[in-house]
Amino acid sequence: MSFLSKLLFKNKAQDIVSGSSDFILIKGDELKRSIDKVFGRSIFVRLVDSGSCNACENELAALSNPYYDLERFGIKFVASPKHADVLIVTGCVTRNMLNPLLKTYENIPEPKFVITAGDCPETGGPFKDSYSVCGPVSKHLKVAVNIKGCPPEPEAVISGFLKFMDMIKK
Amino acid sequence: MDNILINKHIVELNDFVNSADNVKGSGKYLLGIAASDERSLNSNFNIRYFFGGNGGIDEYLVKVGESFQSISKICPAAKMYEREIFDLFGLKPIGHPDLRPLMLYPENWDSSVHPLRKDYNNLIPEMKKYGEYKFKEVSGEGIFEVLVGPVHAGIIEPGHFRFSLAGEPVLQLEIRHFWKHRGIEKVCEGKNFKEALDLVTKISGDNNVNIAISYLEAVESILNVEIPERAQHIRVILAELERIWNYVRDVAWIFMDIGFALPAQSLFALQEELMRLNKSLTGHRFLFNSLTIGGVNFDFDSSKLKAIDDIIKKVENNMKEFEAFILNSSTVLDRLEFTGKINKKTAEELSLCGVSARASGLPRDSRIEFPYLIYDKFNLKPVLLESGDVFARTVLKIKEIYVSSKIVGDLLFNLPKGNITASYENKPEAYKYAIGNSETARGNAFFYVMADNNGKIFRLKYIDPSFRVWPSIQYGVLGNIIADFPLINKSLNLSYAGNDM
Ligand code: SF4
Repeated sequence: MSFLSKLLFKNKAQDIVSGSSDFILIKGDELKRSIDKVFGRSIFVRLVDSGSCNACENELAALSNPYYDLERFGIKFVASPKHADVLIVTGCVTRNMLNPLLKTYENIPEPKFVITAGDCPETGGPFKDSYSVCGPVSKHLKVAVNIKGCPPEPEAVISGFLKFMDMIKK
Repeated sequence: MDNILINKHIVELNDFVNSADNVKGSGKYLLGIAASDERSLNSNFNIRYFFGGNGGIDEYLVKVGESFQSISKICPAAKMYEREIFDLFGLKPIGHPDLRPLMLYPENWDSSVHPLRKDYNNLIPEMKKYGEYKFKEVSGEGIFEVLVGPVHAGIIEPGHFRFSLAGEPVLQLEIRHFWKHRGIEKVCEGKNFKEALDLVTKISGDNNVNIAISYLEAVESILNVEIPERAQHIRVILAELERIWNYVRDVAWIFMDIGFALPAQSLFALQEELMRLNKSLTGHRFLFNSLTIGGVNFDFDSSKLKAIDDIIKKVENNMKEFEAFILNSSTVLDRLEFTGKINKKTAEELSLCGVSARASGLPRDSRIEFPYLIYDKFNLKPVLLESGDVFARTVLKIKEIYVSSKIVGDLLFNLPKGNITASYENKPEAYKYAIGNSETARGNAFFYVMADNNGKIFRLKYIDPSFRVWPSIQYGVLGNIIADFPLINKSLNLSYAGNDM
């Protein structure tokens, strides 16, 4: 059977994607329950890359692949800040991106939260002393959770959201 | 590196414009321009022009004061480099048609401060508005503008795209980049070669292996390190694995952007498997820090080699199905063919490289033109297509996945025995410099690295393939409907991080 028809005729995604580890399913379930309880709907997330090396965006994009399929756990990336609850920031905050970053934040309605993904937005990473970098993010915005990693792997992002939900509940 | 022929020429400022004409006539194309403040050594700024092609690389050294002759009228590809030199060094390219600031935005930077001059005092201008950036204007009845970015709707990097439209077709696209300018070249100065390798890895994360290979070509040549054969083989395997996962992802995005989620998602799943393979090989999904000066940090035992072999076979088989699928589906072809066409002439004028050059009929592949590591062993022929559209770039990537799989397959069971690192002494000759080349998934990655008198970096210039190719999108979209822009953009899938540096 060809690869495509296999995809079409298998019943469950899990049969094709054997790599959705128990970790993802258990943590994902926990996340979903917690988000349902607090928000009563999915969390809407807007991303701003403030000057990354692009590996962080690649990992955030990977969260939508069939292995993780983040939306099933109640986290949805949205196109407009006006729809968002959470701003995720990657990158070291360049001078040129500071204004777009702040403007995006301003356009998110209250209540709103900032999560950073990667070491760059938390510390400035290896670029922190550059003439064109004015990070870290916490210098400009109140950060709820820092997700560490260079880049944070998809599982780390899911754990990061769990941490965020714990924080919100308190 | 040893087999690349570098012909060095020292030319006078005023004569250079004439030589540029000759160089162009010789069929070589602009690989890069590197300026360097060497006033402390020979009371000049030095600008080095590198032209490459059949017969190796020509280097032209022009010693300049505070200004230099622009060559962009003869060689349009030079335009962006000259603007960059004006920004970072304050050297004025005389006769340049467009001297707007490039990476130092007047919205937050004082244009009298040039951070790459050695007498820059490290004072950072206060964050305030110093001037206005003027976009090109298109006017006429019924013409309107659509502004996109810098922050985009999806999970992508920032850039500003300004379309002038008459109805749906695009009359003009102006791109403003460098939002992510991190000043990496300056950060590298004064660092030792090893510290800089870490920064180099983070120029454009998804191409980090191939970019680091180019950097190490330069550094190992400065330090006279000969890396062991086994390490050379492993570097090539890692480089091709990176190319494969990049291309799988790129083809996935093409399906995504034509609204065909099923093949897209199955390719994203395949990409995930490749990233997991990376992790099992080196502990990192992007293969960060797998290379080191003098060799590689990870050896492959037989179980790892088998894991690579299994997945390579799987990728190859799957891609064959997707290829047949693209070639035989009229709805897919309808979106891809004739969309985003970059003519061969445009590709030549802009000195394009990589997939975008090869899809427009230019046989440019650094693995073949400037062979490094063990690439001369494979007798590679450039994969070439002529139509220069989204279709050509997509099919080319699939065909090159087969080439990469074949390279990896050939190497896996023929790895020479021995060490994976060579010892070396970090005592470069003072102010020695070298260049490095490699072929990333996006095209030629070029380094110019110069040591100081302490074994540290005096000047590092990197040219990302994306820096060369971005301007070509402005031609590729002309006459296309704006709704096809995302598809055209994704068919090149350039790096913003590598471009902005
Ligand atoms: S944290 Fe690491 S992976 Fe993420 S942008 Fe910074 S350097 Fe790149």
